[in-house]
Amino acid sequence: MSLPSGNSSNARRLLRTRRDFLARNAMGVGSVALAWLLKQDRLLATPANVPRQALSFDMKARTPPRPPQARAMISLFMHGGPSHIDLFDPKPELTRRSGQDYAGEITFSFVDRASKKLMGSPWEFRRYGASGTPVSELLPHFASIVDDVTVIRSMHTDINGHEPSIWYMNTGKAQPGRPALGSWLTYGLGSESQDLPAYVVLTDPGGHPVDGVRNWSNGFMPPLFQGTVVRSAEPRILNLDPPPHLKGALQEQNLAFLARLNREHLARHPGESDLEARIASYELAARMQTAAKEALDITGESEATRKLYGLDDPITREYGTRCLIARRLVERGVRFVQLFVNGQIWDNHESIRPNLASCCRKTDQPSAALVKDLKARGLLDSTIVHWGGEIGRLPVTENHGPAEKAGRDHNGQGFTAWVAGGGFKGGMTYGETDEFGHKAVVNPVSPNDYHATLLHLFGIDHADLRFFQNGLEQHLTDGKPCRVVKEILRHA
Amino acid sequence: MKRFLPVLGFLLALAGTGVATSSSPARSPSQGDGKIAASKRPPQTPPTFEKDIRPILKAHCFDCHGESGQPKGGFDIRLRRLIVQGGHDGPAIIPGNPDASHLLQLVASGEMPKRDKKLTPEQVALLRQWIATGARTARPEPTELPPGAGITEEERAFWSFQPIHPPKPASPSRLRHTRTPIDSLLDRPLRKQGLRFSPDADKVTLLRRIHFDLTGLPPTPADVDTFLKDRSSNAYEKAVDRLLDSPHYGERWGRHWLDIAGYADSDGYSDADPVRPFAWKYRDYVIRAFNEDKPFDRFITEQLAGDELARAHSANASEVALTSAEQRELLIATGFLRTGADGTATAAVDQAVVRNQVVADTLKIVSTSLLGLTVGCAQCHDHRYDPIPQADYFRLRAVFEPAYDWKNWRTPDQRLVSLYTAENRKNAAAIEAEAATLATEREARQKTYIAEALTKHLEKFEAPLRDQLRTALDTAADKRSPEQKRLLADNPSVNIHPGVLYQYNPKAADDLKAMDAKVAEIRARKPPEDFISILTEAHDKVPVTFLLHRGDPNQPRDPIAPGTLSVIGPGGSQLTIPPKDPELASTGRRLAFARWLTSGTNPLVARVLVNRVWMHHFGRGLVGTPADFGTMGERPSHPELLDWLAHDFMANGWKLKRLHRLILTSSVYRQSSAHHRKGDTKDPENRLYWRKPLQRLDAEVLRDSILAASGSLRTNLFGPPVPVRPDVHGQIVVGVDQTQGDNKMPVDVPLNGEEFRRSVYIQVRRSQPLAMLHAFDAPVMEVNCERRPQSTVATQALMLMNSGFLLDQSARFARRLEAEAGTDPARQIHAAWHLAFNRKPTPTELTDASAFLQAQASHLRANAPAVEPTKPDPKAKPAPPPPTPEHQALTSLCQSLLGSNEFLYVD
Repeated sequence: MSLPSGNSSNARRLLRTRRDFLARNAMGVGSVALAWLLKQDRLLATPANVPRQALSFDMKARTPPRPPQARAMISLFMHGGPSHIDLFDPKPELTRRSGQDYAGEITFSFVDRASKKLMGSPWEFRRYGASGTPVSELLPHFASIVDDVTVIRSMHTDINGHEPSIWYMNTGKAQPGRPALGSWLTYGLGSESQDLPAYVVLTDPGGHPVDGVRNWSNGFMPPLFQGTVVRSAEPRILNLDPPPHLKGALQEQNLAFLARLNREHLARHPGESDLEARIASYELAARMQTAAKEALDITGESEATRKLYGLDDPITREYGTRCLIARRLVERGVRFVQLFVNGQIWDNHESIRPNLASCCRKTDQPSAALVKDLKARGLLDSTIVHWGGEIGRLPVTENHGPAEKAGRDHNGQGFTAWVAGGGFKGGMTYGETDEFGHKAVVNPVSPNDYHATLLHLFGIDHADLRFFQNGLEQHLTDGKPCRVVKEILRHA
Repeated sequence: MKRFLPVLGFLLALAGTGVATSSSPARSPSQGDGKIAASKRPPQTPPTFEKDIRPILKAHCFDCHGESGQPKGGFDIRLRRLIVQGGHDGPAIIPGNPDASHLLQLVASGEMPKRDKKLTPEQVALLRQWIATGARTARPEPTELPPGAGITEEERAFWSFQPIHPPKPASPSRLRHTRTPIDSLLDRPLRKQGLRFSPDADKVTLLRRIHFDLTGLPPTPADVDTFLKDRSSNAYEKAVDRLLDSPHYGERWGRHWLDIAGYADSDGYSDADPVRPFAWKYRDYVIRAFNEDKPFDRFITEQLAGDELARAHSANASEVALTSAEQRELLIATGFLRTGADGTATAAVDQAVVRNQVVADTLKIVSTSLLGLTVGCAQCHDHRYDPIPQADYFRLRAVFEPAYDWKNWRTPDQRLVSLYTAENRKNAAAIEAEAATLATEREARQKTYIAEALTKHLEKFEAPLRDQLRTALDTAADKRSPEQKRLLADNPSVNIHPGVLYQYNPKAADDLKAMDAKVAEIRARKPPEDFISILTEAHDKVPVTFLLHRGDPNQPRDPIAPGTLSVIGPGGSQLTIPPKDPELASTGRRLAFARWLTSGTNPLVARVLVNRVWMHHFGRGLVGTPADFGTMGERPSHPELLDWLAHDFMANGWKLKRLHRLILTSSVYRQSSAHHRKGDTKDPENRLYWRKPLQRLDAEVLRDSILAASGSLRTNLFGPPVPVRPDVHGQIVVGVDQTQGDNKMPVDVPLNGEEFRRSVYIQVRRSQPLAMLHAFDAPVMEVNCERRPQSTVATQALMLMNSGFLLDQSARFARRLEAEAGTDPARQIHAAWHLAFNRKPTPTELTDASAFLQAQASHLRANAPAVEPTKPDPKAKPAPPPPTPEHQALTSLCQSLLGSNEFLYVD
């Protein structure tokens, strides 16, 4: 059933040509999606019989109210808590007082190994690029893209736990059950590709992140807005392909027969747009089989590209492949791609020296390659790349006996993320933590500020992107006080 | 309404982005045509404060200026005279002179309100016009203002708060094809547009329609035969009655209720999403209630206060449950108030927050399902749009707080009531004593371990500090000196408690774990204990409910007595509920609340209920926002019909089956679904019901219909849920969640046909929605589901093309055809059409299908894979013979039928 609103008999006329029809509807088909509801306060505007929210939803690309600077986003989600003070946020005072007791209050997650002994970063920082952005020696590749990147050193969730902070970073609220950022973006903007899922999650072959599939949940939104997992092994996308014995000609025969049945049925039900939509959805599914295969097939990439992403190195090959696939997906119109790593590799409680170094080894080159590659292809201006986790780490030692086994405990009070492209300034460092890197103190950026800023770049005011759940208006930013961080935008 | 429509036109023009070029605003028939045009002009009569200005100010300004605490800037904006008087900055408006009015400048420049949401240009214009025309009020303003936003006459006059006024429908007439009063009420607006009801659909279409609608299952070929042979004039009515009597009716309509009740088989909230093992008894209660046609007023009362009807409180609930099946049923009914997610058993959560969430979610379920209002908005402040003061929210909350006392909280487990008999209990006690002995030993050992760990850990500290720490630890927590406290705070690692023991001495922790296992082993010998999960009050403590400032549990303000919504009460007085009913063991508040809801004079309840029933029959309610009958919701398309149905429903004993019968025997329901040019031109959205809308099968109905067609459906009723699990790819399927090996490969545990039960019996795990149902829009219960969305997406097509479930069901369908129709393709095709579509194939379809079978079989024969000879393994089960090309071809045919539009949609 359809519940069109804002259209009239024109709608029927529009259905006349098949081409129009497919152009208008696609991956998800139905009728008008009042997907997001505009600047006007609707208090007095809600009239008698106009539906508050459409009952059917689609993935048709929607034009945002303001010209967008970003069209797509790739989030390299580094859950676990990358140690900002060892990677992005040098703290000379911390190094100077390394070994002394920290005087302030600290919340620990692991009390048995807790200590107040300050631990300076064992790694060297140097300035890079025209911007002179300081970068740790652990990230040599990142050092080569700093002029295209904004480093936000004042992220904070104020919660030390992984899950609540992940929920906060990914859904706008430190509670489970809400739609993820990717759901909101695709709900608000639809997708520019109708042959590929609009919201793709590239999982690590080593396993799901903590909290599993909830990281790409549609929450209270329709399932259409759930992230589609593209796995590293077959089946790459669930239900995309038939079992081997039905592949190829057999399934084609089946679909041709089904199409015939449906056409005859439609002839007996002229004017039923839902039935046409269903027929189109089968055609799209078939197209998706080809399109997804093509998008995931990297054999055609040049030797230089493969090398750029580190595909020639066993340590970077896996993550590099996924970064490369992410680029191929946004190139083909996918709205939002998010990469996860296995488990909690950045959760360096113990032996941070070797462990943090190995996380960087795996991800540094591919992450930097992605920015370079997007830039070379002219895609960076319209694609946001995000790199970061949900928390940072404490400036004090987490004690595991011998000094080489020392690590750092959780810190939700202050951490670093970087963003590039899509309207963010390049070569900029924003916000500050205190002299020890414990708390964000200058220009703090909450996950809600971060989301409001992202939506702004996509051409939407965060307060205008709403979804009605049981009559309640819901926002990605959850009604919390927040702001667009205009200082880090190219065109504020 | 009229004067706000300029905004509407603008809104729709923008909203139209989703639909290409159309920008003409939607016209709703009941609105009449003139209004949109009129809206382009400014209002004819000068705006008044109460009607036009106050709603804007209430939404944007009241919060800081008058509603709570000291008004900011000394400026109270709640009355016209207070606005003129102004605050510290002097008069805010000069009536008749907008340009000199400070308030207008502030809102026009966006300086006010301070929050994100500014007034729209239309609202500013309206304000300007109001000032320019003298800042009129509709009547003299009150001399005194109660705290908060208050409720105005205009707000009270809102349609849904008005008493139900049933119209007198014209008598049904044969000429106009009106069979029931429903038809008569729909007839006039239709005729106004020059439309009329479409002719009745044909018999088979009607039979399919009522089967799916009432039972969620397709008719069998035999059902169709019987119905076609019945030539009596009331054959259709008899069929409706037969289906209303079917036990499957309760499964279908119970499921609808479970949506709005937010039913789930798990606690949700945390990552673990613990299973709620006894919730299904409430699900069965709901199915039984629908099958028995339990009067709905009774159904509501039992769900809200079954424990009070049964005169139970928490301490004697078990006793009451054992007295009789009826008493037990009353207690189970309160499961309605236990459906919300409940994370309070989870360690490491902020208890104040999660407890508050349970109460808030429960109130949300109660208010959206029964009142059609979003009272949740009034938790933190007066409702911005609806006349629900914050105090009302807490009055309602006080009804539930004796059972949900968040200071003396009971976790989900503590709300279980045992169904042990005295005998059971005696046996269990003996075993428990044995377990307790061991448990005591374990506690002692744990103490020793902690002491040892501490001694060892303290050795790591240097001499004077070590002793200081020891002394501090040996001192009782409340006797420690400030230095000692600081010392312990600075050395958090010496605070060793059971939860962190494993971090200090893993072996000790393992040993304790082993002892725990032994204790559990002993306890497992007890006779199996059955439970029910219910809501009761603790009989000894009645908590005082406080109004929480900003909804924050840490900022209690005035105590609040239980009561109901002020806006519905006559003359602004809300019904107060006695804090304690002397006749009952419990407070009786919920019972009194239920009686208020079902008294027959509540304007909301019956309207909300009949609207939901209408929505399920027609795909859309008479009010399109079934859980929001407030100002932000939609207005009814047919207010008279809504009132007539609501009145008739209550006047005739709140019987749902009667209501179904009335609707289903009406002409409006029996119409054909065919489009015609006139209807499509005059009312393209069919708001006037000139045809029956085509509807897609709900997720559960689709799955059940597939099972029915393939012949695998099990139709037994009731019982524990059929489990779900992630399959090897992480997709949620039916099955026991059991894995083996380090790589956690799923093990297949036979379900013995349980996997083919109706979808209403599949476990509803919040974190693991069954893929097949989820894809077709079954809700994942975060709270509850007022109305399901309908999506048409490629993932659904992929599910129908390639999922294991569809492939397996298609093969079963094919085997059924082979068994019932033999090997002759034509006979197989005939049987397939009857089972899937309840009709015989057309000659073209027969030719097409035969050709398809032949082509596919020959393709398979031509491309058969070479069979590799393998050594027979004597221990292995004999492998099933590979499917023949004919069987595979028939399977493909079946899959096409199951995925076709004719199968997925009901005419």
